[in-house]
Amino acid sequence: MSTYENVVCPFCGCLCDDIEVTVEDGKIVKAKRTCKVALSKFLNHTENRIENPMIRKDGKLVPVSLGEAIDQSVEILVNSSWPLVYGLASTECDANRKAIELAELVGGVVDNTTSVCHGPTVLGVQDVGEPTATLGEIKNRADLVVFWGCNPTAAHIRHTARYSVSPKGLFTPEGRKHRTIVTVDVRETGMATISDLFVKVKPGMDFELLSALRATIRGHEMKNEDVAGVKMEEIRRVAEKMKTCRFGVIFFGLGLTMSKSKYMNMDALVCLVRELNAHTKFVALPMRGHYNVTGSCMVSSWLTGYPYAVDFSRGYPRYNPGEFTAVDVLAKGGVDAALIVASDPAASFPVEAARNLSKIPTIVIDPKVTMTTLIGDVVIPVAVAGIECEGTAYRMDGVPIRLRKVIDPHEGVLPDSEVLQMIIDRIRE
Amino acid sequence: MTGIVIKNGFVFDPLNGIAGEQMDICIDNGKIVKEVEERKAKVINASGMTVMPGGVDIHSHIAGSKVNTGRSLRPEDHRKDAVPKTKYTRSGVGYSVPTTYVTGYRYAKMGYTTVIEPAVPPLKAKHTHEELNDTPIVDSGFLTLMDNNYLVMKYVRDNEFEKLKAFVAWLLRATRGYTIKVVNPGGVENWKWGGNVDSIDDEVKNFDITPREIIRGLVRAREELGLPHVVQLHASRLGVPGNYETTLKTMQCCEDIRPIGDREGVMHVVHVQFNSFAGESFADFRSGASEVADYVNKHKHVALDLGQVIFTDTTTMTGDGPWQYRLYKLTGNKWVNGDVELEAGSGVVPYTFKSSSPVNAVQWGIGLEVALLVEDPWRVYLTTDHPNGGPFIYYPKVMAWLMSEKARSDTLGETHKWGSSRTALPSIDREYDFNEIAVVTRAGTAKALGLKNKGHLGVGADADVAIYDVNPKKFEPSNYELVEKAFSAARYTVKDGEIVVKDGEVVASPSGRRFWVNVKVPDDIEKAVLGDLKEVFEKYYTVSLENYPVQDEYLPKPEEIRIDATEKW
Amino acid sequence: MAEIKVVLISGRTADQGASLEIGKTSDEYRENVALIELSKKDAEELGLSEGDHVNVKTDYGSTVVKCRLSEKLDPGLAFMPYGPWANQVIGSETHGTGMPYYKGVQASISSSKGASILTIEELANRLMRG
Repeated sequence: MSTYENVVCPFCGCLCDDIEVTVEDGKIVKAKRTCKVALSKFLNHTENRIENPMIRKDGKLVPVSLGEAIDQSVEILVNSSWPLVYGLASTECDANRKAIELAELVGGVVDNTTSVCHGPTVLGVQDVGEPTATLGEIKNRADLVVFWGCNPTAAHIRHTARYSVSPKGLFTPEGRKHRTIVTVDVRETGMATISDLFVKVKPGMDFELLSALRATIRGHEMKNEDVAGVKMEEIRRVAEKMKTCRFGVIFFGLGLTMSKSKYMNMDALVCLVRELNAHTKFVALPMRGHYNVTGSCMVSSWLTGYPYAVDFSRGYPRYNPGEFTAVDVLAKGGVDAALIVASDPAASFPVEAARNLSKIPTIVIDPKVTMTTLIGDVVIPVAVAGIECEGTAYRMDGVPIRLRKVIDPHEGVLPDSEVLQMIIDRIRE
Repeated sequence: MTGIVIKNGFVFDPLNGIAGEQMDICIDNGKIVKEVEERKAKVINASGMTVMPGGVDIHSHIAGSKVNTGRSLRPEDHRKDAVPKTKYTRSGVGYSVPTTYVTGYRYAKMGYTTVIEPAVPPLKAKHTHEELNDTPIVDSGFLTLMDNNYLVMKYVRDNEFEKLKAFVAWLLRATRGYTIKVVNPGGVENWKWGGNVDSIDDEVKNFDITPREIIRGLVRAREELGLPHVVQLHASRLGVPGNYETTLKTMQCCEDIRPIGDREGVMHVVHVQFNSFAGESFADFRSGASEVADYVNKHKHVALDLGQVIFTDTTTMTGDGPWQYRLYKLTGNKWVNGDVELEAGSGVVPYTFKSSSPVNAVQWGIGLEVALLVEDPWRVYLTTDHPNGGPFIYYPKVMAWLMSEKARSDTLGETHKWGSSRTALPSIDREYDFNEIAVVTRAGTAKALGLKNKGHLGVGADADVAIYDVNPKKFEPSNYELVEKAFSAARYTVKDGEIVVKDGEVVASPSGRRFWVNVKVPDDIEKAVLGDLKEVFEKYYTVSLENYPVQDEYLPKPEEIRIDATEKW
Repeated sequence: MAEIKVVLISGRTADQGASLEIGKTSDEYRENVALIELSKKDAEELGLSEGDHVNVKTDYGSTVVKCRLSEKLDPGLAFMPYGPWANQVIGSETHGTGMPYYKGVQASISSSKGASILTIEELANRLMRG
């Protein structure tokens, strides 16, 4: 029996690195300091694993050797005129590097889950920028914390305890008592319930509310009685809190990226925070979902110049969200093969895109059975990054942390990066 | 690998006193050797050409968190410079924030073989290593940001100099960094509450110290630890008219610190152009280069790099958070700020230098003035502070300006008249020769860095060689385009004895080494510092101490420079 | 048939996260994800009790899930956890942004007490046959 300290959790963008894991007989039997989801991830790492590489023959997935699966993958990719490589946010950075190398080699399009998560945030940042800081700055300084369109109690469970609401930091020795917590959302979420102030915004009207706040802070006299379902006097109250705090932060999530206005919401939010910097210290931080979606953007940016939605069909990277993003290339047609790594788009994409994915030859690289492996034409099981293999992951604030290996994967089960390398090598031959 | 003989070139090897002598350079097993059997070697005919050691860039933002922020911020910059893949090279994008592969290729094309990334926050050091691992050909290292670090400031405040030294050593080891970087000391900490500093004697809030004390503490620490390279320092009040006075005070504040051993310098003021502004506002803006150069001529403890302006659209990125905010306010351009807990800050803002802009015209003049007025080429280094002053691909243009009075006056003729009236440039007719160019782009920088096998072509040096198609004996400065062309695309670049560039194109793409400095300090003081670190991490950081240091896996080709600081502790 | 119109939001829940780590084909996953939260008032209007099956229909598709009643939702608003059941009714138009409208789609809810909830395998087969 062995116990490992300071293990890094490979689930969400919090990338908690204080997990204690106990391993016995090649299985994790205990995990401490985890949230509910992390506990499930660590304790259930052997559940629903794919046993063998498989190829679909006569409509059914049958077990084959790894070599055969690699060969068939190569066949599919080499014979396709425009393949899609997608996923990548739930695996470590080396796999990301290999996936991009592969997409360049076969002239395909490579996209990561950012495109259905904080893609609009990226678009907004490319317009206006982003005043931001690492999470420790929030822990150590923030006295006003706003959660806009996000619900950490559901999606980033230890965020409030480790970073944003209760921790006692260098200039925040009173912890929770030092901070005013505000939630802005369309419904009363778990986060709203534990906040000091809950502002209920009409669905699809965050842009208006952000703009009204910014106008108020600039000193414009607004004649509305309310904006976006929020009374003007409430808006003025929130604006005043923002202006007079010592260090404020807005954490924002998919409530802004996925609703009407999308990246324009980000534009409005950043412009609001920029405005606030004339009065006090204020930053904004996106609540990145998957534990390494930030890493996927990082790797993509340093290798191609662009954080997601990159096409290599002309031999050099081209960027165009809306054209090269995975949902679009699937829904509108165009890609004629797909390589899905560490993701389940058959389940997480809108049904039309998912349906089109099931119709094209699809190679799926994943540790577990998912809806995408069920529709795949080649399925290759791999090691779980952060449990069975090492690699770098980037936290939601861009801090890189090295994932640990606490268990050996089963015989023949390799890390994603090695499988991708095998495909690359075979194509090059 | 076969040996190489580079025959009959005009060799410039200032560290070995060779200035244009026509001679052969022999290479075997990746090193410069006295001789090699010609019939067993590849022979390169370099007659009529200039042969120099591979370029060594002492300060260029090429890898890491803020660089990558710049990349993802600027798709519009990339779209104008798409780089297709070739048989030997990966694809990518270029211009002001090139992708990592393109960065390596383009440096090699200019005959550069070593590059130092100048500003890395320890918490994100792994990121810089990952990017450098994907930057082919060039050897690299980076400077670790230290001046706005919580424990550094605490030790300075409490006068715990021994702990400061031990902590500097620990930080270098934890990050696998090369030396100390200082950026707007105290100002970046104040910026975390929305403030800044106005002078080096201003207050650093909550720490009861001044920038002066931070600078002196770190400069002294470097001396006593015996690090190979001096402290690189980005001075306070960057970008503010009248800041040359702050720069002078910054240099003065270390006048009394004695260099240890046979070194003469104790500090290197970076991209000094941005910190050599005279005048009180942008209305009476003029060059402060003469004052700064004058001081440097009279005081040997300082070196400078230029931060030369290029008239183009580029991307500014520094660890100076408040400066970057200021630039956003000045321009209205998109702005990213990135404060790093307990350690550092950063900011990124696109910017266009225009020859029609009166202020930019003066800025352009300042960089060149400094290079031409400082008498000792060994204490002045050619940089554009890439990409802050302009992309590194324009270095050959800077060389042309330095080597040719006509090149300068031609540009002045197309530039706003302040370039002529608010700088001393029109009255300067000094022209750098090839030897001086070799000093400010390779020999001097390698020497300053303390990289013993770089920047020269003596026996035993790494076989990093650049061959440029320009005849130094026949060169007329008025034909400066020749130099620009020749240095933009090396006829040959050799790296560790392998030909990597031929006729300006990359033909091989080996990976480079990572230089880092490992300083041994006395056990007891290290233990004391570790105790303080444990407390700081438990209380204030958001990662565990165990996960903080850079692991071996991030340096596939490490080049560790070991220093034992215990003897003279 | 009685139906009510709602604005549908899809999003993460802790149970959805914890059960997906067991596995997408697990019963726990279906239990925690094939559902819709309705306001008590809306549920009453349709005569629904906690756990009844409902049909969720949008311009893009329809799906049967079980309902949960919530005190915290306003009438006219509904919430489904991320996953393949919610995605049966989400459109793939991204209006040039790459991002579908996962939050804020107009939906009609009607009682569907006898209808069965499809399993992941059945959903997958439907895609392939589709």
